[in-house]
Amino acid sequence: MLYSDLKGRKLVDTTSADTVGKVDGFLLDPATRSVVALEFKKTDHGSVVAWSDLTAVGADAVTVGGVAVVVEPDDRLADLATKDGTVLKKRVLSDAGEDLGSVHDIDLDPESGALLELIVGEKKHRVSIAGSRLLGVGSYAVVVAHE
Amino acid sequence: MRTSEIATLPVVTLAGDDVAQVKDVVFSADGGAVAGFTLAGRGLLAGPLKQGLSWHHVVGLGPDAVMIADDSALEPVDTVIAAASSTSAGAGSGGNVLGDRVLTDTGSDLGKVSDVVIEYDNADGGPCDVVGYEIEASDALKASTSKGSKHTRLLLPLPDTLAVSSEHVMVPASAEGFVSDDLAGFGAAVQAFRTQLKGGS
Repeated sequence: MLYSDLKGRKLVDTTSADTVGKVDGFLLDPATRSVVALEFKKTDHGSVVAWSDLTAVGADAVTVGGVAVVVEPDDRLADLATKDGTVLKKRVLSDAGEDLGSVHDIDLDPESGALLELIVGEKKHRVSIAGSRLLGVGSYAVVVAHE
Repeated sequence: MRTSEIATLPVVTLAGDDVAQVKDVVFSADGGAVAGFTLAGRGLLAGPLKQGLSWHHVVGLGPDAVMIADDSALEPVDTVIAAASSTSAGAGSGGNVLGDRVLTDTGSDLGKVSDVVIEYDNADGGPCDVVGYEIEASDALKASTSKGSKHTRLLLPLPDTLAVSSEHVMVPASAEGFVSDDLAGFGAAVQAFRTQLKGGS
């Protein structure tokens, strides 16, 4: 599932059937190469839900079993939520020192949140880079292993 | 790759942080390899850093960045320079050859060194070999090469070892025959030249 399809999907509380937010971002942990939390806007309180607290990531909505899991990011998530942890639009460097373009989108597993692919480059030269090649995300670049 | 293209490249950790940028290339004392880099801080106003980077700590070098594992790869710049000058018994000029005249062992002047061409393999962690110089060709060299009339900057392959002083770089006279004006085909010229040198000795 592409993040660009997930963005803007509503967050629905299965206990009250209310819409309690909208997907506005993701937090990617480079160490586990997976999305560890989703960021939401238009929530009453809190802004993130840990991936493990999501009930389901469906085709039309993301569901949670109660608004209590919508929380403010803890220290670990707050680190990923800074500009240094952002992935989208960041330049991609191989560990051989070559600029591969910038991140346009990511493909993630809707079950586990695992990063499947980074979609990199401009429209005409778009390439996908397997998530398993991800080495790090930092202030300057997203670093991937060269082929 | 020309070493002039390395200056100002960012030094980036595998975690994606830019910790410095390359200020200058440090050559081994005999001029035959890149020993490391001196560094400057990132950004226009940042000055030189007290830390340097040895070649053996470089994970990857490419057209857009110098990659290192993490910032523990940086060490005091004096250490990097001291290690570079102790790599060879021959008393070198610190490897700074830019502006030196290139003389053949038969005594003809081929021109002035304007850039250094290096070759390395990101995969094997081996040395960063200096394989040639870009030279501003002397009139004599220009006259002797057919393409010389159009190009004043030519690429000169180097033997594995050579004598370097602050004035001159000595090369075998046969190097003149392998002068090229095209970096793409230069690797082959270096191979051919070095093979011939080994065969001849």
